[in-house]
Amino acid sequence: MWLTSKIKQVLMVIKPGVVTLNYPFEKRPVPENFRGAPYWDHEKCIGCGGCANHCPARTILVRDICQEIRVMVYDGSRCTYCGRCADVCPENAITMTDRYELATDDRQDLNESMELFMLTCQRCGRCYDMENVNMIDRMDLQGYRYDNIEARAFIRKTTDRFDPEMLKKTAEYKRPSKIGE
Amino acid sequence: MDIVYIVVNIIIFLAFAPLFEGIVRKLTAKVQSRQGPPVIQPYYDLIKLLGKENFIVGNWVFKLAPLMSFAAILSVICFVPLGYTANFLTQYADVITIIYLLTMGGVSILLGALSSRNTFAMMGASREMVTMIMVEPVLAMTFFVGAVKVKSLGIDATIFSVMNTGYSWAVLLMMVLYLMALQAFVGKQPFDIAEAEQEILEGPFIEYSGPNYALFKYSMMLKQMFYASLFVMVFVPFLYTGVYALDIAIQLCEIALVYVVIALVGATNPRLRIDQAVKYYAVLIVLALSAVGLSVYGI
Amino acid sequence: MNSLEKVLKTLQDKFGASITGHASPLPTRLFINIKAEKVREISNEVVALGGRYLVGIGHDNIARDGNIGMIHTFGFDKDNFIVHLNAAVPGSNPVMPSITPDIPGAGWSEREYQDLLGMKFEGHPKPKRLVVADDWPADIFPMRKEVPYNMVPPAAEDVAYQLDECPEGCSIIPVGPFHTALHEPEHFAVYVDGETIKGCDYRGFMTHRGIEKLCESQVSYNEVPFIAERICGICGSVHATAYSQAVEMAGGIPVPKRAEYIRSLLLEIERLHSHLLWLGVAGHLIGFDTVFMQSWRVREQIMWLSERITGNRKTYGMVIVGGVRRDITPEIGEDILKVCAKVEEEVKIIHKSITGDTALHKRTKGVGYLSKEEAVKWSLVGPVARARGIDIDVRRDHPYAAYSELQFNVPVVDTCDVWGTLVVRLLEIYESISLIRQIIAKMPKGEILTELSEEIPPLKHGISVVEAPRGESVHFVITGEENRPDRWRVRAPTYPNLQAIPAMLLNDQFADFPIIVGSIDPCFSCTDRVEVVNITSGRKRVMSKSEIEFISRGNM
Repeated sequence: MWLTSKIKQVLMVIKPGVVTLNYPFEKRPVPENFRGAPYWDHEKCIGCGGCANHCPARTILVRDICQEIRVMVYDGSRCTYCGRCADVCPENAITMTDRYELATDDRQDLNESMELFMLTCQRCGRCYDMENVNMIDRMDLQGYRYDNIEARAFIRKTTDRFDPEMLKKTAEYKRPSKIGE
Repeated sequence: MDIVYIVVNIIIFLAFAPLFEGIVRKLTAKVQSRQGPPVIQPYYDLIKLLGKENFIVGNWVFKLAPLMSFAAILSVICFVPLGYTANFLTQYADVITIIYLLTMGGVSILLGALSSRNTFAMMGASREMVTMIMVEPVLAMTFFVGAVKVKSLGIDATIFSVMNTGYSWAVLLMMVLYLMALQAFVGKQPFDIAEAEQEILEGPFIEYSGPNYALFKYSMMLKQMFYASLFVMVFVPFLYTGVYALDIAIQLCEIALVYVVIALVGATNPRLRIDQAVKYYAVLIVLALSAVGLSVYGI
Repeated sequence: MNSLEKVLKTLQDKFGASITGHASPLPTRLFINIKAEKVREISNEVVALGGRYLVGIGHDNIARDGNIGMIHTFGFDKDNFIVHLNAAVPGSNPVMPSITPDIPGAGWSEREYQDLLGMKFEGHPKPKRLVVADDWPADIFPMRKEVPYNMVPPAAEDVAYQLDECPEGCSIIPVGPFHTALHEPEHFAVYVDGETIKGCDYRGFMTHRGIEKLCESQVSYNEVPFIAERICGICGSVHATAYSQAVEMAGGIPVPKRAEYIRSLLLEIERLHSHLLWLGVAGHLIGFDTVFMQSWRVREQIMWLSERITGNRKTYGMVIVGGVRRDITPEIGEDILKVCAKVEEEVKIIHKSITGDTALHKRTKGVGYLSKEEAVKWSLVGPVARARGIDIDVRRDHPYAAYSELQFNVPVVDTCDVWGTLVVRLLEIYESISLIRQIIAKMPKGEILTELSEEIPPLKHGISVVEAPRGESVHFVITGEENRPDRWRVRAPTYPNLQAIPAMLLNDQFADFPIIVGSIDPCFSCTDRVEVVNITSGRKRVMSKSEIEFISRGNM
């Protein structure tokens, strides 16, 4: 009946009561499997780049800046907190922490950057360098990376069937920084 | 000396209308398992709106409409005998004036909506018009039930008719009908078809902002409190003590109880469509006419 | 009763020369290659044999054999198999007969490939733009392999979408692109006569993200499930599961039994949360905020449960190609059962308090009427179809994951209105809870992920269907080289349901517009798959539904 439905709807609230939490003074406890911001333990990391290969959002970039130093940058602004990096790391150097309150007004706050001292090749003692174009840089090598850290770009090689004219046009595209530009 | 009564009327209505609105919001929130805004939130809303920019979209009618609506409801308040004490203005008007002034308030909403030339405002205005046409008769019948008994249309005579002549079947029937139409008078679910129509249409106030909008909101709140106080004055006169201040305090408590009913009914009902609402009102009008008929025969 | 062989034989007998080849990689899939000229007759024959149109897929094969392929897929629900009709037209002149005049459900699929691949369908009743923006130049077809994924051409000037003709004596009310009744931007131009709706035109795809193009050129197989999950903020796991199943089918990858059970568990938990969300949204659309608040309070427990199981409230991130990522331990199993018991009890309270409510009945009974024949004509799916007496449910008709071993009923009513969809969804909540209990009781032991030791063979077709809370979701994959799919097509359940909206709206009051659109539980993000804009070379951003909602909900 109509009236009893209405009474039931009002009484429905008596058991649970008011459920509003007085955030930020009262916070909900974070469960233990929670996937918050990832954290790299630089002492365990061996610089393999597995996390960079598996990140769906292309958030982890790797660059060898000289023979012995590899820079790995985690650009937290695009991270989707999926946790694949933590899954594939062979040394368990990445933990998904329970931090989720990551709002900030400076994007650099979310960056983590590691500079790792790498061993060199046992045969020739050198790492391959990219500046001199040689046959080797056409191969997709396991141990050498040169992602574009300044532009935060990591492009996986694609089946290059893109039309070269159109590809040139995309390189010139500049996103308007003001509305109506 | 009588001017004091008028001033007290105005001050009490202006001061308490937002508070009661806040009570409605708080109670609705509690029924929904929420914390709700603080009870004095409507005051903050009005003050905030007064500080915003006043966009003028239409012509002079657009600017006039909120002022007209506010003025109409304030004039009605001046006549109302709060605290069972008629003031000197009461004898200069009768119930027909009150009905006309309230209709003028409604018409000013229509004018405001139509002058903004917005499709959604026009749809909201047409619904408001239909609501007004269907709901005014019930208000008129409320007065006439008393007027027929005491054979006069004066405000104090009709409003205090129950106090003076006691309860009769007609009065009881009218009381029930008034409660059933109360949601439509104050524009809350299930009958907030025209005003708070934020889901389906934006309603007649879509183009209003800033101080104009504050005036409209304030007149809505005053109208709500007027209808609640009318119920208390006409149908619940038995706690009359004779002391002016005490009477006012008691009436305010009773008004708060009426608001509780408004809030609970509003929280537990979906919004009806305009054609369904029209059928509902039609039934109410027929019953109201029969209540007046009973009153004529003295039953 | 049909069987795969019978259908193949009938088609071969009737259309001998036009059928140029067939393959049947699994007992439940039949791929037939046909000649493009006869596509209409063959499609009609398949429908006459009992098929239901699922989706049309166009793919660019120009680099391999100079053709553009168009595949029409049909599902045979009673007999559990899916038929593909592969037609190919030359890339320089891609003209094909349209099957829309006989099968209205194909209308959008064909319009989509007109925009994206440049195909022309002769005889299509409404060949207007569907997917790309109005000011996109007419000679660049985004899905062709030669167009880079980050192409942003200069905008064309002075173009606008031409809405349909307004019927006599009606005025137009624009609902959208931003409106408080809609959760995502889309434009319904509603033609009203007073308060009665006499017609409606829809221009959507404003949240088109270009996900299919992205995943064909940039991402690898195991990264696609994470993007697929973000196609929709409510049925994310469905898309990830469907994609993974399609790839597994194409590549012949076996999935461990335990992983299948865990996938079904996640799907049912998602169904619970989605139906409770819908209940709240429907209440909100008719102005009944109490139902909204209470049902979302109940739903919150499921979100907390998901956070405990998977690490996130909604983007579970559990499904990848080959299995799942995390295991369900016995403690988690008990946790799930406790939460289910509590949710069931509270849903019963809400159920009892709204069944008798005549005010609610007035707003939902008789509203949005669409007869069963019309629903079959438009190929509706999901609770919207089940409310009209059409008995289809992919979990029972084309069993996937663990559903072939579980017992459940499919609620079907025949009131043909919004009230019917409400009843169907409420009953499905109870069914889901019973399914979850069965899954936890029967879960077998074993691995949760298959290690892939070799590459997935390229150029194999795979199609999988999954029952999302809104209906059936179809994913089609052609595997490719370099560890990524060559073509991926997502068809969300809202895609066919949206096409039937103008028919549902006819002759109803304008005030019922939101609840009718809400009754199909629209998920425009699933349908549209938003366009991506690049900032610098190589920078891609995929917007999740919640981000789009936040932007578009300025008025709420």
